Amino acid sequence: MSPADLTDQLEQLHVTAFGWALSCCGWDRSAAEDVLQASYLKLLDGRARFDGRSSFRTFVFGVIARTAREVRRRATLRRSIPLASLLLGPEAVDGRPDPATALARADETARLIGALGRLSARQRQVLHLVFYEDLTIAEAAVVAGVSLGTARTHYERGKAALKRLLEEESE
Amino acid sequence: MNERDDHHVKQAFEALRREATEVTPPFASTVAAARARQGVAPRRGALGLAAVLVLAIVAMVAVSTWRGPRGGRLEVDLATVRWQAPTDFLLKLPGDELLRSVPQLGPRSADRRTL
Repeated sequence: MSPADLTDQLEQLHVTAFGWALSCCGWDRSAAEDVLQASYLKLLDGRARFDGRSSFRTFVFGVIARTAREVRRRATLRRSIPLASLLLGPEAVDGRPDPATALARADETARLIGALGRLSARQRQVLHLVFYEDLTIAEAAVVAGVSLGTARTHYERGKAALKRLLEEESE
Repeated sequence: MNERDDHHVKQAFEALRREATEVTPPFASTVAAARARQGVAPRRGALGLAAVLVLAIVAMVAVSTWRGPRGGRLEVDLATVRWQAPTDFLLKLPGDELLRSVPQLGPRSADRRTL
């Protein structure tokens, strides 16, 4: 894939990729922007190379999920080891929602985000990929790095839990 | 969960997607910021690595030149030192001294009439 093709395809995915980055960063907008920039950098400089084994969208989402995990790990390391910031650079993201830059949420979306926050990380990931990004469960399994059976279980249990939580919050 | 419930969840996610779309930064600015990081990240990493190396070298030099609280090297005459293991007592047998001395046989022992 030529650099121009890569940029074009990334541009087409940009809005959904940002949504996925938001989900990976607990809906912290500045953290999501940072993760998305780091992911694009990996894709543009060739550190993450698309080999055609999955769809391009699945591949990009996988890169974003891995980058978000790396950023979280670095933030944890920076907090726990003195002088680690010398090697890792200044802290950009700590994974926690930043009230100043958080999304201005309507009641319904605030309820949804609150309910998603009470699910397990895997359930949250799979539900987001299926309902928000319109991926199939098989594609969501590839992005989340789990088997199809595991993704199905997370999907069914997560959906039931989400429905219960949304009902509880609306009462 | 039936299709109606699925529809309800999907609607909630669609509302979330609409809000997220409104706050999505432009693609061009995201790529520009990513490319700007490209130049900064290696420099920052190299600087950090250099700082850690300097600290490590300073620590090594300090350890190798430190001569202890009295300023000199502590010399030990090994010929005068007898090291005793903490478990040496396990090797001592009851009546061990009998094995280290030679019993004396002869008139003196017979006079005692110990038999």
